[in-house]
Amino acid sequence: MFGFCEEAMDVLSSRRADFGDIRIVRNRTQALGVRNGGTGNVDDSETLGFGVRVLLGGAWGFASSGLLTRAEVRRVSLLAVKIARASATLMERRVKLAPEPAWRDLWQTPFIKDPFTVPVEKKFRTLFEADRLMRRDRRIKSAAASMRFVREHQWHATTEGSRIEQVLLSSGADCRATAVDGAQVQERGYPCSHGGQTLAMGYELIDQLDLPGHAEKTAAEAVALLKAPDCPSGEMDLITYGNQLALQIHESVGHASELDRVLGYEESYAGSSFATTEKLGKFRYGSPIVNLVADATLPGGLATAGYDDDGVKAQRWHIVKDGILSGYMTNREFAPRIGLGRSQGSCRADGFANIPITRICNLSLMPGSAGSMDDLVRSTKRGIIMENNKSWSIDQRRLNFQFGCEIGWLVENGKVKKMVRNPTYQGITPRFWGSCDAICGPGEWRLWGVANCGKGQPGQTAMMCHASSPARFRGVKVGVKAG
Amino acid sequence: MTDQKKLCAEIFRLAGRVRAEVIMESSESALTRFADNVISQNVAETSTRVSIRFTDKGRVFRTSLNQTGGAALADAVRRGLAALKLQKKEKGLLSPPAPRPVGPAAARLYAPGTASLEPSFRAEKAADLARLCRARGMKCYGTVENGASRLTVANNSGVFASHRETWALYSVTARKGEGYGWAEQYSPDASKIDYAGVNARAMEKAAASVRPVPVPPGKYTVILEPAAVGDMLLFLGYSGLGGRAWLDGRSFASGALGKRLLHPSITVTDDALAGPAAGAPFDLEGMPRKRVVLIDKGVARAVVHDRRTAAEAGVPSTGHSLPQPNSCGPMPLNLEMAPGDSSLEEMIRSTRRGILVTTFHYTNLLRPKTVEMTGMTRNGTFLVENGRVTKALRNLRFTQSVVEAFGNVEALSRERELMNGWGRMCVPAMKIRDFNFSSATGF
Ligand SMILES: [Zn+2]
Repeated sequence: MFGFCEEAMDVLSSRRADFGDIRIVRNRTQALGVRNGGTGNVDDSETLGFGVRVLLGGAWGFASSGLLTRAEVRRVSLLAVKIARASATLMERRVKLAPEPAWRDLWQTPFIKDPFTVPVEKKFRTLFEADRLMRRDRRIKSAAASMRFVREHQWHATTEGSRIEQVLLSSGADCRATAVDGAQVQERGYPCSHGGQTLAMGYELIDQLDLPGHAEKTAAEAVALLKAPDCPSGEMDLITYGNQLALQIHESVGHASELDRVLGYEESYAGSSFATTEKLGKFRYGSPIVNLVADATLPGGLATAGYDDDGVKAQRWHIVKDGILSGYMTNREFAPRIGLGRSQGSCRADGFANIPITRICNLSLMPGSAGSMDDLVRSTKRGIIMENNKSWSIDQRRLNFQFGCEIGWLVENGKVKKMVRNPTYQGITPRFWGSCDAICGPGEWRLWGVANCGKGQPGQTAMMCHASSPARFRGVKVGVKAG
Repeated sequence: MTDQKKLCAEIFRLAGRVRAEVIMESSESALTRFADNVISQNVAETSTRVSIRFTDKGRVFRTSLNQTGGAALADAVRRGLAALKLQKKEKGLLSPPAPRPVGPAAARLYAPGTASLEPSFRAEKAADLARLCRARGMKCYGTVENGASRLTVANNSGVFASHRETWALYSVTARKGEGYGWAEQYSPDASKIDYAGVNARAMEKAAASVRPVPVPPGKYTVILEPAAVGDMLLFLGYSGLGGRAWLDGRSFASGALGKRLLHPSITVTDDALAGPAAGAPFDLEGMPRKRVVLIDKGVARAVVHDRRTAAEAGVPSTGHSLPQPNSCGPMPLNLEMAPGDSSLEEMIRSTRRGILVTTFHYTNLLRPKTVEMTGMTRNGTFLVENGRVTKALRNLRFTQSVVEAFGNVEALSRERELMNGWGRMCVPAMKIRDFNFSSATGF
C-alpha cells in the first residue's frame, strides 16, 4: 500500500506543498442485530479508499476516492492541489503546523479473540438467545440485541517522511427491551444505550458482556418501569456512573475542550465553547476533586492508537486538573495558537473519505476517595441514582445541558428506596462539576465507549472512551417538566 | 447507468439461484467550509457503495463493499453466500420483491451544471460574504456545497430502479459580537440559490441580536421560523409516523388513526413523487413510493409502511422501506406540511408578547408517546412585544411535547422552506401559544 502512497507524495512534492499526506484505509465492519425473533439487521461490509490532504501556500485542500489505482491517486492528488489553490484566495494567515518528528512504525490494537474469525452463526445464536429471554412478558413489544465489530487498517504517509501503519479494532454489543402499556413506553438496555458497550477489544468483550445472562433482568426492569412513579421534581443530590457519566463527560467537557471549537471554527454547525483560551490554567471548571485526563494510550480506549491522523504520537494530558481548566484537545494546525510547541495528538478522520479534524480523545474522570458505590449511597441523605442515557442535549457553548436516563432510584437516608421512571436532570457545566463532592475509588473505575460521536461538515463519526467511577453532584435540578 | 446495469448483471450471475438485491449509491460531492472570514476546510469526495442482500429459503445475509473490480466483488459475494447458508431460517422472511411499475421522478431534481461546479465557484461565494462581513465588523461561518448522486435498486426478480439528483446548499452563520444570525438555502440547482438573500438575512439577524437580554423561562407564545418547525416535524415523523413504531404502540398515533390529534390547520403529507420535498420515486427495495396523507386537518390518517409492516397491519405497502431487514422499520423521508394563510410579519404583528425563534439547536426526544422534546434556541432569538420585535434575547432551553405544540397552533405561513437533512422536508413558519421554555442560559 505504501507504493500507492509514494504516487501521492510525488505529486505533492512536485507542486511544492508545505505539507501533504495520504491515508489509505481498509475498513471491515460487521453489524448484526435481531429483533423480536427475526433478523433485525445484518451487514458485513468491506471498504477501501484513500484521502489526500495538502497544505499549499498556507491553505488546505483535500480530496478522496474509493478507487485505488495509481492513475486515480494522481487525479485525486491534483484535485486536492486545485482545491488548496481555491482556499488560498480567501485566507488571512498561512496555516503553519506544529512540528512533529517523522515516524516509521506499525501499531495495532491488542486483542485476544479476533471477532472476524468467530462464525456469524455463533454470534447470531447469542443474539437470538438474548432476544428470546427478553420476550417472556407480553408487555415487551420490542426486544432487540446487536453486535458490531470494526477493523480499520490504515496506511499513512506524510511529505515529512512519516510512514505509519495501524490496525485498530473495536467490538460492541447490547440488548434492549421496550415495554408498552397504554400511554407508557419504557426502555431498558444492557449494558448501556447508544448501540451498547463498545471498546477497543476483540470478541472477549462479547464473552464478558454475556447478553443472554442479563436479558431477563433487562426486560423485567423495562416492565417494572411502566408502573414506577415518575422522577420527583426539585433540587437534590444526583449519583451517576457508567454510560450516563460518560456522556456527561463527553458533552460538557469533551466537546467543550476541542480547540477548533474553542477558537470558533465549528460555529456554523456544532457551535463554540465557553472554555475559551484566556481561561486556560485559571478557570474553575469543577470542584478540587475533579480531574479529567485525556489519554490516547488508555488500554481498551476507542481513541487509543499509536498515532493520530496528523501523525502525532499518542499522549496523555490533563484537561481539568484539581478542578482547573488545564488543556485542550488539539491538532497540529491549532496547537501553536495556544503556545504549544507540539500538538497533543487528538486529530482524527472518519474513514478514508474525510479530513482529519480535532476530536475528543479518551477522556476520563480520575477515581476519588469515596470508596465503593455502596459507601457513596450510604453517605447520601436524599438523592437520585440515574443510569443509562436516554436523551441528551446541550447548548452551542456547552453550558446548559439536559439529560434523560432510562432508570432512576430514589435514595433516602443512605438507602436505595424505590425505582423511578423518566428521570431527567439539567444543569450548567461549571456549576455542575463544581458541585461534585464525592467520586468513588479505583475499584469502581470502568471504561465506557461512545461509538457515535458526530462532528464536522460533511458529517463524521468518531469513537472514544470515558472511564469513571460513580460520582455524586449536590443540589442538581431533577425531574424537568414539559409544562 | 449502463455501468450500473452491467455491475448488477455480474452480481446476479455470481449469486446463481440465490435471490439477490443490489442497492448501489454513487456520488461526487464537494464542500467548502468557511469560518472566521476565511476558508477553513475544503474537500471533495468520489464515492461508490454497493450493498447486496441475499435471501434463500428463509435465510438472509447482507454484504457491502465499495470496490467493484473483479476480485473484490467476487470475494464479497462468495463470503456473503457462505454466511447465508449458515443463517437461521425464519418463518415469513420476505424475499426481494417482484417488480412494480415506478413512475417518473419529479422534474428538476437534476441540474447538470450543479454537479460539476469548480472549487473556485465555491471560494468566490465565500469571499463575497467575507467581504461584506469584514465591512460590517462581522465574522462569517458556513458552507457552500454541491454534488450529484445516483441511487439504483435492482434484484434478480426483475426490479431495476434508478434515480439521480443534484444538490446545492448554502448555509451562513453571521456573528457580530454576541449577536448571531443564520440563513440557509437548499436547492437541487445551485443557480436557483439566492446567495445575496441568504447573506442579507443572516447578517441582518446578527446585527439585530448584538445585545441579547435575558427573559425568565416559562410559557410563551412562540413564532417559529421554518427551520425550527422542521426540527419538530422531524421528530414527529421519525418517532411517530413510521409503521414499526405505530405497530409497537410507541407512536402518538398508535390506536388513534381517524382521531383528531393536532390542530385543524396541520396537514402533513409524505410525497416523494411531486411537490417541494420530492426525491427518489422508489424505496430501498425498489418499490414505488406512494403519496401518503399522514395528518389531514389535524386528524391522524395513516403511517408509512414497508412490505413487512404492511403485512402485519393488513394494509398495502406505501413504499417506504429502508434496506431490509432492519429494526427501525419504514420512515417518511419526504415530508411536507401544508401552508397556512399568514406570514412571519403578520404573526409578529398579531403578537402582544412572544418569542421569535430562528433555529433550534441539539434537539432530542424525551418521551415518544407525546413526542416530548428538549433543545436550545440558537442564531437569533427575539422578544416580540405589542406587534413588534423589540429586543434580542439570550437563548432558552425548551422542554415541550410536539403533539401538544402542534395542537396549540395559532397561525401558519404561506411561504415555506425546503430543508434537506435526514430526508427532505418542506415546512412553513408557525405561531404556537403556551410553548414551554424550561431553563435559560447566559448568552
Ligand atoms: Zn460527541
